[in-house]
Amino acid sequence: MINLAIKDISHSLGKFIVTSIGVGMLLGIVLIMLGVYRGMIVDAKALLGSVNADLWVVQEDTMGPFAESSRLFEDVKYQIRNVEGVSEAAAMTFQTIQIPTSLKQERVTAIGYEIGKIGKPQNIISGRELVREHYEIVVDTKLGFKLDDKIPLGRNIYTVVGITKGAVSSSGEALVYISLKDAQQLQFLASNDTIRSDRARGIKDATSTTVNTIVAKVSSGYSPKDIAENIKKWKHKNVYTNDEQVEILTKNVIEKSSKQIGLFTIILIIVSSVIISLIIYTMTIGKIKEIAILKLIGMPNMEIVKMIVEQSLVLGFLAFIAGNIFANAIQGKFPKNIQLLPEDSMGLSLVVVLVSVIGSLFGIYKALKANPAQAIGE
Amino acid sequence: MGSLAIKVENLKKEYITKDNTLQVIKGIDFELEKGEIAMLLGPSGSGKTTLLLMLGCILEPTSGRITLDGEIVYEDRWILKDTRKLRREKLGFIFQAHNLIPFLNVQDNVTLLPQLNGIAEVEYKKKAKEILTYLGIEDKTNYMIGSLSGGQSQRVAIARSLANDPRIILADEPTAALDKERAISVMELLRKLAKEQEVAMIVVTHDDRLLPYFDSVLKIDDGYLTKTKASETKLH
Repeated sequence: MINLAIKDISHSLGKFIVTSIGVGMLLGIVLIMLGVYRGMIVDAKALLGSVNADLWVVQEDTMGPFAESSRLFEDVKYQIRNVEGVSEAAAMTFQTIQIPTSLKQERVTAIGYEIGKIGKPQNIISGRELVREHYEIVVDTKLGFKLDDKIPLGRNIYTVVGITKGAVSSSGEALVYISLKDAQQLQFLASNDTIRSDRARGIKDATSTTVNTIVAKVSSGYSPKDIAENIKKWKHKNVYTNDEQVEILTKNVIEKSSKQIGLFTIILIIVSSVIISLIIYTMTIGKIKEIAILKLIGMPNMEIVKMIVEQSLVLGFLAFIAGNIFANAIQGKFPKNIQLLPEDSMGLSLVVVLVSVIGSLFGIYKALKANPAQAIGE
Repeated sequence: MGSLAIKVENLKKEYITKDNTLQVIKGIDFELEKGEIAMLLGPSGSGKTTLLLMLGCILEPTSGRITLDGEIVYEDRWILKDTRKLRREKLGFIFQAHNLIPFLNVQDNVTLLPQLNGIAEVEYKKKAKEILTYLGIEDKTNYMIGSLSGGQSQRVAIARSLANDPRIILADEPTAALDKERAISVMELLRKLAKEQEVAMIVVTHDDRLLPYFDSVLKIDDGYLTKTKASETKLH
């Protein structure tokens, strides 16, 4: 049996393709939205992955450096190192700073870590990690620096010694790594004027031996959860395992963003459905006389329904292909990490099938209501 | 009875509106033999199209009986449930504006019904070729409808109406959009088909010059129908 849907599409192929591309761009944006969400999750996990700690010890009653402000004395690390089952513990700081790049001030997350301990930069694509206690910096390739470039930070000039790839914070900002001592100075050391002013007001010198978290590795055979409970009980600190920290980042920190993106995605899918429905409806109305003729000469309703649904599915399929091409083409233009995953694409394809079938319902209703007498002019 | 293609008995059609009842067809009777070609005449609004629609099982009459090709299809209600199947298998339609499907080529337009009727591809293609050759448009087989002239399109419409070997053809002003020469050519063709293939035809036309191509005249006026032999009929 002749395929009426394909014949009709072939007859107005250009128009059909342009329409499909239009809908496809909308679907492409749906994919990008999903990609933004996936990118946030990947970014959140990337930071935790690069630190690669089993335990995160933070200020009591706080959720850690990524969710809330957390301050600890650096020497807590010695207490943690002495806990049974802990093989290694180191202090770290996390702070948001502005770095002057060639084009503008770039917002970055600076990680201060103890050289040779946990938290060193991963994925170094050129140069090396830090070896000196002062004025060396490892930056992400996203910032556009080259090795040996000089970057003024606070009162000092830092030299780029290493470049990483894909090192980003949960909010998508590039990571830079400096030594713990430099980071403490940068975060906690006030300017001379401020120190003088504070002294005049009776405020003691601020300490620069504060850190944001102590990260620890657990010896094999020990449960991070049990050790965390032990530290919480005796050291009056909050302790999170790496899994809990992942959950805090993905659920608590980016939950609102993901809900926002989810809502946008749902709205876009609804808009796509309405547009597909309107297109199919308009296409059906455009050939209502032909449908009346087909009914008049005896074509069963099922064949007419098949034609409309098939056209809708072809439109959805072409739009889906166009959407994927569009999303992949513009993915790199976004400042934040966009992760286009095959499973999201597959999920969207199922939604497109559903939307195409639902979208054809109005057209089908109109076609089934078409009076064959219209073909003879009544 | 065996030679009758159409038998209409006391057929009525009323349109009931909020305020009144409009009787368009007030009880008509006529018969048409197989191979008979009848001209359907009547002033505008006299019910010609209504009659065609009822005979084509598209519009339900109010009462009466319609027998098509020996089968009672309507007797105060539809006796035949699948009227579309009847149209597909036994009826052919030709319209004033050829009403072909623009997104199908000539062959697809012609073979659409045989395909729906489950005829094998080899057979329906062979049949389409025969019909198109018979109508002198075999060279247009793969043309799209939009590229044909009015006369060629009307021939394709005739080819489509013949492709399912119909027993009855209902034509609504098939020559109205054609010039005199082409109109005569189409009427010659329809008459030839009616005679050679024993197809009964009812053709609505207002063109008096075409009278010689008909066997009979069905004149409908004020809801009533009279049937006369074409040879004995004088039109103004």
